[in-house]
Parts: sequence; C-alpha cells; structure tokens
Amino acid sequence: MASLQLTGIRKSFGATPVLDDINLTLEQREFIAFLGPSGSGKSTLLRIIAGLESADSGEVWLEGRRIDTLAPGERGIAMVFQHYALYPHMSARENMAFGLKNARVSKDEIDRRIAAAAAVLEITPLLDRKPAEMSGGQRQRVAIGRALVKEPKLFLLDEPLSNLDAALRLRTRVELAQLKQKVDAAVIMVTHDQAEAMTLADRIVVINDCEIQQVGPPMEIYSRPANSFVAQFVGSPAMSLLPATLVEGREFASLKLGDGSVVHTKVPLAGLPGGELRLGLRPEAVRVTDTKGTTKAKVDLVERLGERTLIYAHLAGGQQIIGEDEPYSQVRLGDEVQLAIDGESAHLFGPDGVAFHRADA
Amino acid sequence: MTAARDWRGLLFALPFLALYALILIFPLMRGVWLSLNQVDLFGDGHFVGFGNYARLLHDPVFGTSLVNTFEVTLMIVPPLTVIALFLALALNRAGKGAAIIRGIFFSSAVLSVTIVTLIWRFILAPDAGLLGEAWKTFGWQPLPFLSDEHLVLPALALTTIWWSLGFPMLLFLAGLQQIPEDMYEAAALDHSSRWTTFWRITLPSLRRTLVLVVMLQTAAQLQLFGQSQLLTAGGPSGASRTAVLFLFEAAFGRWELGYASAAAEILFLIILAVTITQYWATGRATGADGGR
Amino acid sequence: MPTVAANIRRGRLTPLGWGGLIFGALIMVAPLLWTLLLSLKNNSELVGHSGAALHGPYTFENYVAIFGNSLTTRWLLNSAIVALGQTAGVLILASLAGYAFARLEFPFRRTLFVIVLLGLAVPSQAVILPQHELFAWLHLHNSYPGLILPGLVAPFGVFFMTTYMRGIPRELDEAAMLDGASRWTIFWKVIVPLTIPAQSTLAVFTFLGAWNDYWWPLISATRSDMYTLTVGLAAAQMNYAQTSGLGYLMAQAVFASIPIFIVYIVFQKQIVRAMAGAALQ
Repeated sequence: MASLQLTGIRKSFGATPVLDDINLTLEQREFIAFLGPSGSGKSTLLRIIAGLESADSGEVWLEGRRIDTLAPGERGIAMVFQHYALYPHMSARENMAFGLKNARVSKDEIDRRIAAAAAVLEITPLLDRKPAEMSGGQRQRVAIGRALVKEPKLFLLDEPLSNLDAALRLRTRVELAQLKQKVDAAVIMVTHDQAEAMTLADRIVVINDCEIQQVGPPMEIYSRPANSFVAQFVGSPAMSLLPATLVEGREFASLKLGDGSVVHTKVPLAGLPGGELRLGLRPEAVRVTDTKGTTKAKVDLVERLGERTLIYAHLAGGQQIIGEDEPYSQVRLGDEVQLAIDGESAHLFGPDGVAFHRADA
Repeated sequence: MTAARDWRGLLFALPFLALYALILIFPLMRGVWLSLNQVDLFGDGHFVGFGNYARLLHDPVFGTSLVNTFEVTLMIVPPLTVIALFLALALNRAGKGAAIIRGIFFSSAVLSVTIVTLIWRFILAPDAGLLGEAWKTFGWQPLPFLSDEHLVLPALALTTIWWSLGFPMLLFLAGLQQIPEDMYEAAALDHSSRWTTFWRITLPSLRRTLVLVVMLQTAAQLQLFGQSQLLTAGGPSGASRTAVLFLFEAAFGRWELGYASAAAEILFLIILAVTITQYWATGRATGADGGR
Repeated sequence: MPTVAANIRRGRLTPLGWGGLIFGALIMVAPLLWTLLLSLKNNSELVGHSGAALHGPYTFENYVAIFGNSLTTRWLLNSAIVALGQTAGVLILASLAGYAFARLEFPFRRTLFVIVLLGLAVPSQAVILPQHELFAWLHLHNSYPGLILPGLVAPFGVFFMTTYMRGIPRELDEAAMLDGASRWTIFWKVIVPLTIPAQSTLAVFTFLGAWNDYWWPLISATRSDMYTLTVGLAAAQMNYAQTSGLGYLMAQAVFASIPIFIVYIVFQKQIVRAMAGAALQ
C-alpha cells in the first residue's frame, strides 16, 4: 500500500497560482525531499499535507485514508518546523507530552514514549529544561523528539537544517539519515539545498513554478534531468547551457556552437526537434586542454576548490561556460584557454526546455 | 474551512463585543437621540430637533464653561509638556539618585482625583493651607486661590500639573530610550554642541512622543471635571465651571437629560476636532521636512 | 568613542542641575508629606492653625478612628472588589477578543476591529447619561455588577492584547494544531501563558484606573454603603465642616492611597514597560 498519495492538488492565493495539479505517490518508509527555489510552492504543498493550508481542489490520502478533510491533529502526521516552534513556556518533556495529552494517551504510555525518544535522540538530560536554556542543535532534537513520540505515519521536515551552523548541519544530516532507519514512517523534507536533498532522500521531487518538474532518485535527477530548470538547479556549480544548432549526423546529434566548433553527442537524433537547441554540459564534461583546434574561451574567474579547479569562462560568442582543470591549474583570470568538450556526456534541451539524453545514461 | 467554522472565531470576541455594543455603542447612539429630545426625570419627553443645541448656543453659563475649559487646558498642557520633557532629559541616566527622583515625580500620578483635591484643598486654602502658612512666614497676606475669580483657574491648573506630570515624563523617558546611540556618536564626531544635538537629534526623534503627549493631555484636560467639582464646585460664580461640570450639573443636578446630552455631544465633537486637527497638523509638518 | 557619546547624550548634570532637580522633587513631595503630617495630628490642635502639623506631638489616633468607622473600611472593600473585578474581567475579555482579532478568521473581522479601535476616541462623558439610564433600566445602580461593568468595555485592552498576540510566532499555533489541540486549548495552553507580560501590564493599568475612577461610581453609587473610596472621600471632603476634623480627613486620604502605592511600587516594571510600548506606537 502506498504511504501518501496526492491527486490533483491545486492552490492559489487570490489571483496568484501557487500549485497547479500536483500528483504524487510515496512508498512506505520512503524519504522524499521537496527541492525547489523559494517561492516555488514546495512549502505550501507541505502545509497542505499537514492541514495548515487547505487546497482549492484535489485529495490527500495517507495509508488508505483520505485526510485532507481532517483537522491537522487527526491526520497521523508530525512536523518539525523550520524554527522548531517549541512552546517556550514548557520544558522539553512538556513539549513532547503536549500532543499526546491532547490525544488522551495514558500517562504511563506518554512517559514510556518520551523516555524512548529521548534515549534515541540523546536528550534525556535536557528533558526538564525550557527551550530558552538549550542550544540550537538541542532545540532541534527536542523538536524531532516531539514529532517522534507521536508515532506518526508521516514526518514532515520544513527546512530542518537551515537554522544550524555549517558544522552542526553536517552532523545533523548524518543523524537525520540514521533516524530515518529507525522510524517506521515516510518522511518528507522541504529544502532549497540540493546537497541536502541528494544525501538524504530516496527520491527527490523538484518543484518550480507551481508544478512538479521531476520525481526520481538523486542520481537520476542529476544525470537525466527532465528539463533545463532541473538541469541548472541540481548540481553545483550549475550546468552550462550553450545555444547550438543541429548539424549533420547519422544516429546521434552533432551540434555547432557559436564559435563554429562542433560537438558530437550520444543523444539519439530521432525525436529531436529541429531549430535552436541548447547544449547542456556539466563542469566535469569541460576540461582545459593544450590541444589546438578545440573550443576557445576567455577566463572570467578561477575558483580553486582544492581537489579540482573550476574555470568560469565565456566563448567567442559571449556564452558562459564552466569547466574544470587540475588542482594546480596554471590558468589565470583573463587567459585565453582551449576547452575539450566531452560530447558523450552532454545533454540537449529543446526550445521548450525539455531534455534529451544519451540512451544509456 | 467551511463558513460555519469561520463563525466560531467570532465566539472568542463575542463576550467583549456584546458588552461593547450594549455599554458603548448603544449609549453613543442613544446620546445623540436624547440630545434631540426634551427629556427630564419623568419619562421620555418629546422630540425638539436641534432645540437643545440652539438653547445651548444662547446659554451664557455653557459658553463660560467652554471658555473656562479651553483656558484651563491651555494653562495646563504647554507647561506640563515642557516640564515633563525637561525632567525626562535630566533624569534619563543610570544611577540610584535619578531613579529615586523619577519615582518621586511619578508618585502623584497614582493618586485618585479625590485624594489630589483633598491634599490641594489644604494647600491652597488661605487660612489653613500649606501655601498660606509658607506665605505667612514671609510676612505676606495669603492669597485666596480658590475664591478669587482670577486665581481659581491657575490654581486648578497648578493642581493638575502636579497630579499629571508622571505619565508624560515616563513617555518621554521611553521615547529617549528609543533613540539609537549611534546618532549621538555621529553627532559627537561632528563636534555638535549639546544644544545643537538637542535641537537636531533629540527633539526630532521625540516628535512622535511629543505629539502623543500633547494629544492625550489635551483630550484629557478638555474633560477636566473632578478638580473643579471637588475643589470649587465651579465657583466662585462659575469662574471654574468646566464643560463636563456643566453637563454633570445639568444632568444629575437639574435632570435635564436632553439638554445635558446636547452639551455632551458638542464637547465630544470639540475633542474629536481638536485631536484630529493636532494629528493632521503634525502629520503634515512631519511629512514636510521628512522627519522620522 | 562610546563613552564620549554617552556623555554628550546624557550631558553631565551640573551640581546646579542636581540642585534644581532635588528642589523640584521636594516641591513634588511637600504636599504628600504635609498630608502625612496632618494625618498624624490630633484634630483639635489643627483647628485654625494647621501649622501645628510641623511639630509634635504626633499620634495614630486618626488611623485608629478609621478602623472604628465601618463606612471607610466598607469603601475600601468596595474599591477592592470593583478594582479586582474590573481587572479580572478586562483580562479575560481582552485576551479572548485579542486572540480572535489576532489569530482567527471570521466574517467582518477587520470591520469589527476598526469599530473597536474607534471606541478609543469616545470620551466617557459622551456616553455617561445613556449609560446611567441603561443601568437604571437594568436595576444595576448601587450594585457591584453596576460598578464593574462599564469598566470592562476597554477598547484599549483589546487593542493591546491583539497587538501583543500578533507578535507571537504563528508557527506555535500551527505546531499546536498538529499536536491535535483545539482552538480553546491553543488559546489557553499556548497563547495565554505566552502573554503573561502583557497581562500583567494590562492588569496594573486597569487596576490603577478602576481604583482611581471617580466619574462612574459618583453617578452610579448613590447609597453610602456602596461608595468606593474615591466617592466616599469626595463626600467626606465636601462635608468637611461637619466631619471630625482635618487630621482625620487626611488620615483617610493616606489610608486610601496605601493600596495604590503598594501596587505602584510592586509593579513599577510593568508601568515603565507599558510606557515604552506606548512610545513605540
């Protein structure tokens, strides 16, 4: 049986559409990330699932039960809020017990669940402290604990890592991954950070412009982006998109770039639209080389990351391109460099943004 | 969210709104109706249109009471505001001494009008008052503050200023606390003199507080009642009868409810007009020189 | 540089400045001390010569007499009942209404809120006559409900609580909704505990206002056993000629002020904080 099912969810605030015909099915115990820029509608979708907003149309089902008609507290859903939303006047223990008391869970059972959750999250010594007496990381654990004790069928995490500093964020990411192994529920996490989504999620739902752009496992999203938005949003730095025209080819597409150089791809010719296309290249598909006769570019920025060097450059036609060089790169700002383009890993995008990939990628 | 569910939110506001409608809105409307009728103690009376208002216009007692009200308001509000502002400036500092003096200047504000008049009656009384006693030590004749037509309003104003200093002072102190320290640092770096700093930084920053104090005090003093009723009963010969005392006497002394209602409506409109004018004028002034 | 700036801001107060302030403060307290001294004097000593208050002998006989006078203690009780009743009522009504206006959606919410705000501009004298008439119809004059009810209609309290509650993060309400809390539970268990600073400020001001109110009890309480202290002392000073004397009258004044001074001293912080809030608006 599916865990969560969304069918035909639509929502607008006044005349502004926020979500347009969202359909999605979650498997049991699946960890899903809603990934998208701010204002994409991902948070609204999460709030509709939680019952904090109501959809204009569409249905929400959780484990065979329709829940969009129920009050938030009756849905079997727990949520960890972006700013944790711990009740400031209650101790950690009271925060965790509040929902259970409302649900008339027996006192013994409440104590048992809090003790168990506190042990898992290692917050037992904090139980009698108020939120003001805790660090950010501790508050987040209590917030997770408050969700955990409810034994929900679905966890919602709203930007769970955005309020933590960099070091704590990495540690918490590991802990969230471990937590996922221990809970018997599906998890939805909203995030705008693609690295977070890539590391934690079983599947990523990329949302933009009120719509789901693509649903799939992290590496599929990365290697076979459904369209130019996903291609550019996922991956850091972003994929370069270069305008190109289709030239002669037999089985696979070959394209001519603005400076006249030709790139031979492995994208099947069949099914490609005619006219203007865009060539999509990840930085690792573009390498600085000494070989003459390749694509020429002028360097705008050299970014040394240690294990590799990123070269931001523009072609003779002005198109931006990002490539890679070895760690001890000799390239400097303003240099003219030769770029070897690995056409075999290139993607193509039609005028409407739809992507075409090599058949076996 | 269904419509029925929406209405449930109203339930929380309903206890207040019900009382509000019964005890404020209804009397407000009823007051307008009463002012258009000749009503006395014995029943509902009859409709006289603007008859009560016309009668008020020709009633010298009402006219005098309005003039007294304006006079006493003008005697109170400017000095009260200036004194409170200077006290706040002087007392806006840390330390025990300043705290104690702040406490002293505020202490009179927690007293009721009855206590205040009780105290001041025996300060202003020429035969047994504190002021009289003090006067006598200088060998002067005590002044009959409460029984001299020309001294009675200043005496009421003095009493009121003593009573009312605390809240404006606290408001100014709170306003001073809101001025960012860096404005003063910038002024110090510009070698601004203390006087310039006051005129160019402190006073403009306090403008909103100043407006608030003047508006609240004006509205309050236009309704001055207890001091006049208790200290002098409006005397001597009406020299300290304020507008509210006039309507109180008309209503609960002579039971001319319609007539008193008309006086109440006129005073209400005056207060509203003065307040709105003050707000509008300062809004324009603030807008004109781009103040905060 | 901050020390320099701080000096300029506060201006170093000269000895002359301090002298002026202290002189002013003395003028402020002189009437209070004068009252206190008078209250400690034997009544007959003060007849025609109040200057006697400046020296001994002092006595507590006037205070003892107050406790022998059942009416004054009755007025104290009445004042306490009215002030506490009004304070409790305002807190309850303003919190409920504030929550509705700050958080709940219902038809005409904005309109109703504006109507409540307009009530801030209505001076009490504009409604006192119809109120008097209304309470006469309801047979509420000379009763505690009659003395308390008009004070409950406090638009400021609603405005104050609404503003304060709007400042509480909405995430808390939402967390409570997901915790299965009803509207009432959210209000009572989450919102109200978080408004305690505002509740205490509103309580102090309501209490001060109710305790010192003269206008309404003067009109509504016509039987001397239903007077509050303000009205009772007003009657006493008007009948001064017939009362037991100046010292006794002043002892009553001091006696009536003690509760309010205690409230003032205990709740100074709330008063100052409320002023800061008002200055911000």
